This record gives sequence, structure tokens and C-alpha cells, in this order.
Amino acid sequence: MMSSTLPLSRRLRRAALVALLLGLWAPGKILWEQKIAHEQDFLRYHGVTMSRELRDQLGQGLTIGVLSGMRSVVADFIWAVNVTLAWEDEQWFRMSGLINLCTTLQPRAATFWDIGGWQLSWNASVAAAEDLKQPNALRRLRASRFWIEKGLEIYKRGIENNPQSWTLWAHTGLLYQQRLKDYRNAAYYYQKTSELPGAPVFYERFPALMYGLAGDDQAAYAAWKSLWERLTPEQREEKEHWKEKVESNIHRLEQKLSVPTEKRIFPK
Amino acid sequence: MEASAPSFAVETIGLTKRYPLAWKRKLLVALDHLDLQVRPGEVFGLLGPNGSGKSTTLKLLLGLAVPTEGEARIFGLPPDSLEARQRVGFLPENPYFYAFLNGDETLRFYGKLCGVTGPKLEKRIEELIDLVGLQNGRERPLRSYSKGMLQRIGLAQALIHDPDLLFLDEPTAGVDPLGSAQIRDLILQLKKMGKTVVFSSHLLEQVQEVADRVAIFSLGKKVLEGSLDSLLAEDQSTQVHVPGELTAEQQEKVRLLLGQAGITSQEIRFSRPHLSLEQLYLRTVQGLPAPTPAKDSSHS
Amino acid sequence: MIPSFFRILVIGRNTLVEAVRQKVLSVLLIFGLVLVGSSVYVSTIATPGLDAAGLFDEQIKFVKDFGCGAIGLFGFAIALLSTAQLIPQELQSRTVYTILAKPVRRAEFLLGKFLGVVLLLALAVTLMSLAFAASLYWQETVGLKYAQDVYDQHMPNWQNSPQLVSQYNHDIQDIVSKVQDPQLVEAILLLFAKLVMTAGIALLISTFATSSIFTIITTFMVYLIGHLEGVARDVWLARGAETSLWQSGLAGLISLLVPDLNSFTIVDEILAGNHVPWVHTLNLLGYAEVYLVVLLAVSIIIFDFREI
Repeated sequence: MMSSTLPLSRRLRRAALVALLLGLWAPGKILWEQKIAHEQDFLRYHGVTMSRELRDQLGQGLTIGVLSGMRSVVADFIWAVNVTLAWEDEQWFRMSGLINLCTTLQPRAATFWDIGGWQLSWNASVAAAEDLKQPNALRRLRASRFWIEKGLEIYKRGIENNPQSWTLWAHTGLLYQQRLKDYRNAAYYYQKTSELPGAPVFYERFPALMYGLAGDDQAAYAAWKSLWERLTPEQREEKEHWKEKVESNIHRLEQKLSVPTEKRIFPK
Repeated sequence: MEASAPSFAVETIGLTKRYPLAWKRKLLVALDHLDLQVRPGEVFGLLGPNGSGKSTTLKLLLGLAVPTEGEARIFGLPPDSLEARQRVGFLPENPYFYAFLNGDETLRFYGKLCGVTGPKLEKRIEELIDLVGLQNGRERPLRSYSKGMLQRIGLAQALIHDPDLLFLDEPTAGVDPLGSAQIRDLILQLKKMGKTVVFSSHLLEQVQEVADRVAIFSLGKKVLEGSLDSLLAEDQSTQVHVPGELTAEQQEKVRLLLGQAGITSQEIRFSRPHLSLEQLYLRTVQGLPAPTPAKDSSHS
Repeated sequence: MIPSFFRILVIGRNTLVEAVRQKVLSVLLIFGLVLVGSSVYVSTIATPGLDAAGLFDEQIKFVKDFGCGAIGLFGFAIALLSTAQLIPQELQSRTVYTILAKPVRRAEFLLGKFLGVVLLLALAVTLMSLAFAASLYWQETVGLKYAQDVYDQHMPNWQNSPQLVSQYNHDIQDIVSKVQDPQLVEAILLLFAKLVMTAGIALLISTFATSSIFTIITTFMVYLIGHLEGVARDVWLARGAETSLWQSGLAGLISLLVPDLNSFTIVDEILAGNHVPWVHTLNLLGYAEVYLVVLLAVSIIIFDFREI
């Protein structure tokens, strides 16, 4: 409220008050922002800041979009339009570049890593294996292998950025299992999967199954046994833990490995 | 400074307002050291050509602008204080209202801003709609109002909180003579209620009919101030009113009589009092019998 | 105190009524709804060959991102355009005279007008959020049906296998949890806070600006710079030998005055399904609130100076 008596000095006093307010607020503002940024780094695990190469790739218009917080929309747009086209045209190198772009834009979206890795390790590598433009079978095999490795790289970087995403761990396990026939690594990744919240229950049985496929009965037995011991009596009765399967496998392996009777869980 | 009830409704002491002109590096003196007093219950007219400082004075008295120098007081209070503005009503020159509100909503809005609420507000709205005669417009948005209707809603909102002091800026501008007369009557009614009215107008005849005192402005200065009687009365002459027409003979006899009383000037005049054009118009429009047209008046 | 709040409320309500009667809302809303609808369309562009879960992941991401992007974009347009002409309109039509001739403080007038814009934004965001929720629900229904179909067609008698049943239940649970994510409320609140801050910046600039266009352009620039404030802050705090005086001066100025709008892009995390605790959201909302108070305080001071 202004007073018409000595208006100017009253206003100047108020302006000085505001300057004081701003002066007090400024350091508080900086500190508060630092705290928020720190928290967010923790939540995100290294969110992306604008780096030079990224800006070149995107061009001016998209840069503004990313800057204004439309980062996810831009990534989605690029993904939806271009990745599908690249798949249809079987331009695997272009797709690889786009996958890198989208994952750089939004590294915390597990979807991009997941689908990207799948595109390369399965679609691209199968297409390369069947590519009749290659002169011989060896070349095809190498090309196929190349894409599997590329896909694996994507999965692993995805896990670095999203260690809580069970699908990334699970699909890496599947990659080792199906595409690389590396059952030991598969077992490791399935084990990690089963430990994460949100993972389907049946993944707990996969490590043991993988060791079995690897032909390592000792490891398989150890895995089944440790699973059985981890389960509480209530859990053993739950359908999803499928105790009959666990039981029969332990029994079979105890027989096969000739485990002494007193050490057996299921002697009969 | 008196601590008890102030003796003036409006008082200014050396009130000055200067505006810096951006590209001329000069100052525009909109108002130059105004000393003004308006007593409570007066009807005060502000006269002067455009740009003479009338609007600036109103702005300063309403607390819409801050004086460069000097002081203004409304009932002894600063004009921009809430207490002062609570007692003041303002009818702007143009309809500075929200066009998307209808009549009722407009009054409700301004009423609430003045602290009038609830059933009291509704009652007040009814009273004012009746007073200004806006029954058939109250539900329509203001953008569909004619100039006359806008003036009426303007008056209503100025009165919504029953203020003691009213500022009316050109209250009858653009209004037809009938409506103009109604506004004039309203001003007199307000005066009878003990309210103070300060209004500016270009229509000198109307000012003459209602104002007790006037001030005439020119180029930012108050040039003349005083009661109408004292300002307008011609010195050194007297009018005598005689009902009925005087024949030439009778006029001669009156001259002789005056001569015996010592008044022998050649400038004694006999003439027929004239209706004003406004009075003729009003009588005609309101359906009253027209007065018989007069023969040419004689001058001797 | 109370009459003061009442007057602010009266002016706020009046401002909202004005915006609604001038059909501000419906025009922009139509576009907003169209965009939300288009996000549903985009979700039909799917990477071929994916399994049900992967497909749903991809599509729900599009729907969420585009939906919230639309709310952000059109909310921004409403915030910017409504606030930029808020005070100039009153000054131009001189309706401010009639109001300030009444016992209303200039601060109450300014706050009342701003309250009107905030109410308008709240209404707009609520309506757009409802449309967004509807599109999510639609996506959920489609996803659930598709999952059911996949199981029924490719894995006959799947109900008899405990593993498949478990997998099915898990898939269903996955779909539902991605759609009925309580964290989306956090996302909407953060978007709203960002919009209110934008409106506050526009209000401050409009108190001294000479035209609405100037206000719009300047606010837009501040909005963009706000997303780089974090970078400026880092530059200023870590000023070493390489940063020139005017570089660190500029960085310092930005850090002191401009809010860190980039911190609100934590919404991306929420939309990607990652966990953002309420504590952090409340922290951000508190920051926005305090910043807004400072903006309004300065706006009031500047407006008090202004000749009308």
C-alpha cells in the first residue's frame, strides 16, 4: 500500500527490502538446486547432459526440444519412425546408430536398450546368417556373430544404466543361452534376474537348468539345493515355486552323483 | 492537523503532478500546485478544456496516481488508503468495466471488492437496478449495452457500497437529454442524502443547474473557484420578475417609477423570460402540453 | 487479512470466468485432446515381431511420453499466452482504474489476476489429465486382450502349466502396474508446478514490459535458459582459470535469477517406470513454491511503481 506522504522513500525502502530478500534467497536457491541435482544424479545414474556430438546428430530443432524437457518425446519419435523403417529395410548399421542415439537421449528408459539389443542379437544376426549376398557360409557366420556381440554390448550398457531392470538381465541371460550357447553366463544372468524385485518367479529355477544344459551336474545340484534351502516352508507349498520340479531334479541328481544317503535332501 | 472529524471532504494542498516526457527531455506539468477544498455535502463542478488537469486531479484524488509534490486528503485520509477508498465512489468517463459480465454480475463483483456481501449485497443490487432503471439489461452482458445503459451501470457500481463521496467524470457525456435529466436529478437526490459529489463536465448548462461551487481549470492550473451565485451574478444589476405580460404603456409607467427611485439608466430592459431548449424538449418528449409560442418580445 | 484474501479470491474467480467465457480453454483443449489421441495412433506403430510384453512396453512408453508431452506443451501455451496479456489487457482497457478506485490494494489485484491464471491452468491440466488417463486405460485394455490372445493362440492349454500360468499372471501384473502407476500423479504435479513457474515468470516480465509480444518472447527465452541453468551453475561454481570474466559473470547471473527447470525433467524417469520417491517430488514442489513467492513479491514491488 502506498502512502502519498513521502511516497518515494517508502518505495525505495520496499525496493531495498526486496533486494535483501533476493540476496538471502540467492545462495539458498543455489544450495537447494545443488541438492536436487545431486538427488537426481543418484536417481538417474548419470543423466545425459548436452554434449557436442549429440547436438550435431539432432540438428537445431530437435536440440530445442531436448533442451526444453521434450527429450523423451524426441527419442520416442525417432524410435517410432526410424527404427521401424530401418527394420523393414534391413539397414542394420543404420538401426544400430539409431539405437545408440535413442539410448543416449534417454539412457534411463530400459525399453530402448531391451528392444535395441533384441533387434541386433536376434533380428540382425539371423538376417546376416541368411544373407545370400555374402559369398560364403563363413562370412555369414561371422556377420551373424558380429551382430550378436553388438547386441550383447547394448544389453550390458543397458544394465549399467538400469541395474534394477530385470528384463535386461533376463534377456541377456536368454542371449547367452539361445544365441551364444554359453550356459554358464546364462546361469549367472538368470540368477541375477531372479534376485531383482518384479522378476517372474520361475527365473529362480533357470540357473540350475542352465548348469544342467552345460553338463555340469555338480553345479546344477548345488544350484537346486541352494534354491530349496532358500525357500521357506510356506513358499515351497506355493504353486509358482513348483516344488515337484525342484524335488524331482534334486532327487535325480543325488542319485546320479551318488550323494551319501545321510547328506541327501530327498533320499527316497 | 485536526484530530477530530475533518472539515473537508476533499482537500488538496499544493497538489502537483509532473510526467517525464520520454523523448523530449522535458516535463509535462499536468497539474500545477492545486489548492482545493470541497466541503461535505457539496456538489462541486470541475470545468475546463481537455488537458487542463481535471482528469489528473481525479486520478490523484482516487489514489490511482501518486503526486509529484503536495498532498491530497479524502476526509482527512490519504487517497490511496483503503479507508478513504471505502468511502469513495467513482464513475469513469468511459465504461472501464468487464464486457463479459452482465449487469448483475458487474454489481456483485464490485460490491464484493468493497466488502459488501451476502443478502445485503443482493438487496443493494436490487435497489440500485431500480434506481438507475436497468431492469431489462441486468441479465445481458455489458458488451451489448448502449452508452446510456453503461452510464447507468457505472453509476450503480459507484454507489454499490454507499459511499459518502462521489467522483463523476463526465456523467452525462453521450447520454440523451432524458437520461441526462435523470442523472441530474440523481445528483440532487444524492446531495439531499448528505453525500458529496465532485463531477467534471463540458456541459456548462448542466453544471449550472446542480453545482454549488465550481472550479475552472486551464493548462494544469486552477484559474477560478467559487460558488455559482457569486461567480455568475452580474454586478450592479437586478432582475425583477413580474408574472404576466406588460403592455407598452405599463412598461412606461414602470420606467417612470424607477426614475422616481433614482434609476434612470438607458439600459433598463424589458424582456420575456425564455425557456431553455432543454426544458422545451423535455416537456415535449414527456408529453406535457407545449407552451404557447410567444410573439416577438419588444425592446424599448 | 481475511478481507484481503477474499478480494484476491474475487478477482481470481473473475479472471477465470473471463478466460472460460472467452473460450480460451476450449480452443487449446481441442488441440490438446487431438494430441493425446495422436499418441494413441503412434502407439499403433510398433516394432514388428516383439512378444506381448515387449510390445506393450514400447507402446505404453509412447502413450505416456506423448500424453505428458502434450499436457506440458499445451499447458505451456496456456500459461504463457494467458499470463502475458493479463496485465496489459487491464491497463489498455483501463478496467484497472475502476478496480483500484475501490478499496483494493495493487498487490491484491496482481495476486488475484495471477490466481485466476493458476486456476485456469489447474482446470486445463485436470481436463487433459483425465483424457490422458482415458488413453492409458484404453491402452491397458488393448494390452490385456492382446496378451490373452497370444497365450490362447500360441500356447494352447497354458492354464495347465504352472510355469505358464505364473508367467501369464506376471505379464498381466506388469501391464497393469505400468498403467496404474501412482507415480503418474507425481508426474502431473511436477508438470503443473513447472507451468505455474512459467506463468510467474511471465507475470514478472509483464509488470514492466511495454507489450505482450515482448513478454512472450522474453519468457520463452527464460524458459529455454532455465533448462541450461544447471550447466550455468556448474560453470559458475567451478570457475577456474579458463572461464573469462564475462562468461562467469553471465553464468552467475543466470544461476542467481533463473530457476533450474531441467530438474523437472525427472518426469521422464517417472514415465519410464523408474522409481522416484515422493520425498524428492515434494522437495521439487517446495522449491517451485518458494521461487514463485519470490517472483510474486518482486512483481508486486514493480507493479506498485508503475504509472497507470
